[in-house]
Amino acid sequence: MKGNETDAEPRLVVPGEVILDHANLNPGCGIINSADGHIATRLGTLKDNEGTLHVQPINATYMPRSGDLVIGYVEAVQSNLWFLDVAGPFNALLPMSLAPWKVEFGDARNHMDVGEAVLARAQEVDESHSVVCTMKGVGLRKISQGHIVNIPVQQIPNLRGENGAIIQSIKEASDCRIIVAENGRVWIDGDSAGIRVAAQAIKVVTSTGHRPGLESRLAASFAGGEV
Amino acid sequence: MGGYGDVKLLNDDGSRLDGRAIDESRPVEVKVGVIPVADGSAWVKHGLNEAVCAVYGPMEAHPRKIQLQDQAVIDVRYNMAPFSTSDRIRPGFNRRSREISKVTAEAFASTVMVERYPRSKIRIEIEILSAEAGTRCVGITAASVALADAGIPMRGMIVGVASGKIEDTVVLDLDKAEDNYGQADLPMGIMPTTGEIAFMQMDGDLSMDELQQAIDYNFTAAAEIHDIMEAALRAHYDGGDE
Amino acid sequence: MAKQVVPQLLRQHLANLADDDERISGRGQWQGRDVVLEVDCLYNADGSAKVVWGDTVVYVGVKFELKEPYSDRPTSGSLMCGADLRPVAHRKYEPGPPSPESIELGRVVDRGIRESGCIDMNALCIVPGESAWMVIIDIHVISDGGNIFDAAGLAAIAALRNATVPASRYDVGEDYKLAVALTPIICTFTRVGGRYVYDADEEEELGGAERLSITLGDNGSMHSMQKGLKGTFTAAELSEILDVCKTRCSELRDLVDSKVE
Repeated sequence: MKGNETDAEPRLVVPGEVILDHANLNPGCGIINSADGHIATRLGTLKDNEGTLHVQPINATYMPRSGDLVIGYVEAVQSNLWFLDVAGPFNALLPMSLAPWKVEFGDARNHMDVGEAVLARAQEVDESHSVVCTMKGVGLRKISQGHIVNIPVQQIPNLRGENGAIIQSIKEASDCRIIVAENGRVWIDGDSAGIRVAAQAIKVVTSTGHRPGLESRLAASFAGGEV
Repeated sequence: MGGYGDVKLLNDDGSRLDGRAIDESRPVEVKVGVIPVADGSAWVKHGLNEAVCAVYGPMEAHPRKIQLQDQAVIDVRYNMAPFSTSDRIRPGFNRRSREISKVTAEAFASTVMVERYPRSKIRIEIEILSAEAGTRCVGITAASVALADAGIPMRGMIVGVASGKIEDTVVLDLDKAEDNYGQADLPMGIMPTTGEIAFMQMDGDLSMDELQQAIDYNFTAAAEIHDIMEAALRAHYDGGDE
Repeated sequence: MAKQVVPQLLRQHLANLADDDERISGRGQWQGRDVVLEVDCLYNADGSAKVVWGDTVVYVGVKFELKEPYSDRPTSGSLMCGADLRPVAHRKYEPGPPSPESIELGRVVDRGIRESGCIDMNALCIVPGESAWMVIIDIHVISDGGNIFDAAGLAAIAALRNATVPASRYDVGEDYKLAVALTPIICTFTRVGGRYVYDADEEEELGGAERLSITLGDNGSMHSMQKGLKGTFTAAELSEILDVCKTRCSELRDLVDSKVE
């Protein structure tokens, strides 16, 4: 979202669109090869990434990848595992052996109940996008305070900004701790005034982040939010 | 097909009762993102027909017995709102809607990259708000745009179009009178970018030559409507309409 | 309706906001979202309206049918109002026969219109004991972004006031405008973070508790009330709500008046 775009105007493609140029590039995500040339399979913008052509989708459901930091809500508990809603097509499993506590069989609910939120990592993802999560790792834990907002996954790079500049400015202005999980959930932790400033700023980024002048709109949002 | 030519549907100058030429489609309008809570959505007006479509998913296929281990299930519901026709339709089970839902789902299963999402389902909810002949085609057009809006990968967008026969003449895009009193109707779902046909039904009476003429009309119309669908998607996402 | 998990953090956050007299959307406690009302928008309906209310979208179509009057009221027409919360409107809605939620919505809107007496049922009679008009109001929710009751109620009365009795289609004379004497309006309040707010949105409904829907007529009298969902309230809370309700109902009535002549 900086002034110096590497390419010219981002080119929007629709599913089925035949891409006549770029024949020298390898087909990547959102591109299939046919006799006529490359064909886009999703609505999005074309990206040339070191010899591979792909479509950066405009809208997409979160598809978990192994190693992703995710925020999940406990949707069900059994005696030895939790089911987490991680905003993907399938609930993720969190077995008690991967919880940060020593859990006796049958005692899972006393550690974490339905509706509670966790910061976890996708450990294994199979080909049907089913996930096993772990809470063993630095910083992974139950989230018991603050606020979680949802943003479209494709907006995550916009929210981070170049070298994390945008999210850093929101952290500073709101005096909040903010964690952006890969599944489009953003945890904001701070006092209620700070949460309000941060949530408002995130809304500004996700709704208008593709237009120039984001920094000044954010500054206005920070000023307005602190009244 | 009802009357078999006993109602006059063509003017003396060869034009149709609503003034269209025999190879002229009714006007088509498309809007994207009309259902804020859906993952993707579209509104299509085709002549006096009006349809909306919402897409949800991919999500886990429920109940488990409908899951396919190697691909996603395309779950289509085509439904006519009670007030969509001149005689009110009682809500509830309807054989016609079930059949249309089934063949529409199979059309999209052939173009959506279902193998990407094993054990999932993609819900396509088509609601007809006004029906004036050709609603299954309008529903297909709306569903394609809604799928694109939802970011579902597919080989191309299917366009719903129909041709038919009135007074022994093959015409494009039957309106209600032509549908009621004409001799044949050939609705198709065409993917103009590849030239494939993903959906077809037909009823009435057509010769082989007439069929070829009807198919030709359908392909021409599908390409034109595809341009309108594409323009609507571009206007929504490229035009900076926020 | 599929169950939805209520995040505990959302409840907690809504409670914190309520303590500071704030809402998640930045609105005031009694402030509604923007409402766009369109009438006469469905080609085959005899009366129609579309309401876009925040992220909620509702269509209402009115149709007329000729029926034999009920034997106990031979000179009276009839009214039917139904709603369908079809799976198009939210991922939480499932296919199948009308859910209890759909039926409740249809009946709450029905009562507000019926009990206000805005339609003269006797005027709908054509031949006593033989034929009378049945007015059928179908509510079609296309997008449930919260507070579908108010959106449906508004669309229903606007569609009625815009309706034409299709007498010529049934060979019983010339078409004429349905006479609708009053404009009953629904206002719904939801307990969010411990206190009541007007016009809850999707997140507030998810993290909130019981709701109160009140239908007021033109002269301020009440025509229907409904308490729904889990929770309890006090008489003092009800009277506070009723004060707000009056103002908001008359604003929405002005909106309907501005769209139908």
